[in-house]
Amino acid sequence: MIDFISALIVLIGAAFTLIAGIGLFRLPDVYLRMHAATKAGTLGAGLMLLALALDAQQLEVAARAIAGILFLLFTAPIAAHLLGRAGYLSGSPLWTKTRFDELSDKYDADGRKLTGTPVEDLRRDATKPDDRAT
Amino acid sequence: MAEFGAQFLEWSIDIAYVAIMLSFALTVFRLLRGPTLADRVVALDMMALLGIAFIGLFSIATGEAAYLDVAIALALIGFLATVAFARYIYRGALAERRGTDISDAGDDS
Amino acid sequence: MNLLLVNIVLALVWGAVTASFAPGNLLFGFVLGFLCLWLVRDRFNPRNFHRPGRALGLAGLFLLELCLSAGRVARDTLRPKMTFRPAIIAFPLEVQKEGEIMLLANLISLTPGTLSVDVSTDRSTLYIHAMDVDDPDALRQEIRDGFERRILDVME
Repeated sequence: MIDFISALIVLIGAAFTLIAGIGLFRLPDVYLRMHAATKAGTLGAGLMLLALALDAQQLEVAARAIAGILFLLFTAPIAAHLLGRAGYLSGSPLWTKTRFDELSDKYDADGRKLTGTPVEDLRRDATKPDDRAT
Repeated sequence: MAEFGAQFLEWSIDIAYVAIMLSFALTVFRLLRGPTLADRVVALDMMALLGIAFIGLFSIATGEAAYLDVAIALALIGFLATVAFARYIYRGALAERRGTDISDAGDDS
Repeated sequence: MNLLLVNIVLALVWGAVTASFAPGNLLFGFVLGFLCLWLVRDRFNPRNFHRPGRALGLAGLFLLELCLSAGRVARDTLRPKMTFRPAIIAFPLEVQKEGEIMLLANLISLTPGTLSVDVSTDRSTLYIHAMDVDDPDALRQEIRDGFERRILDVME
């Protein structure tokens, strides 16, 4: 029975890692690729470790595997955020079909200070001016 | 029933191996192709995650729990490497904005 | 007095007294400590005793969002035509402490379709890259109600 559950979890984890790879391949923009790698990739690796925890059936192995999963869960988003920020500042282009970018002129010349957007200035509607034809 | 369970596990491990290998190939494509450095760093982070998944799978397949330590070490190192790369790109971007060299990019957050 | 620290110390004392620091035993000691503190609860702020429940709820939310987000990424990646329309939106922050902002940014990065990019220097705004946004205001409302409220509940 445990074997069956581990096998299912292995399959789901493998599916997610494959989806992450496909995402890295297909998606047209750095930030979208980071979505794929951080979410699907972390879940895939985490599920593999979970299957290992179930399969080994020893408390010490399971404890270490769970610690590994928790570590992945906490560090992957941090890494993605840092990379996204660095990528944006270094000029990684957004996908051409991106709707709008509220961050575009908020950095000062040095790149260090980032001004906030006061509530009145928030973009409320999602359409781009040249969207209306479609 | 236990027979079937073990058989299913064997089979799914094989399928998982193939999936991880395919994912590796796609990630290497992004590593070589990705127009910016940030793309390549995402690919490297993905490869670390794939390594962890592979080691987990291998550990299930061989029944040796010792490989788990390798997976945890890889998770730590992968995270550190990604953060280091991100800082490098960040400081380079700041320096470029200021028109100076990266070595005097000063203090950053 | 920080109740969480007192509880942890009690758990460690239990581990020392029973001569076993196995994780299960420490957890049991933590629960015992929690019960003891609960018995003398009139000396402390009653809100503190709901925190473990809420913290567990937050952790559960983390995991749930991760699974949902991976599912969403799967659906969007595998579709032959890419019909999503991403955007970077500004989210005005209510949480002000560093730890809370970090939790919120992490939770957002694990949520389906959103990734936190940067926080403004005066900590008033969090900029988020969203994968598929039809109505920016609805997204902001969702984050505000779903995550920010829970984080404030746990940490404040």
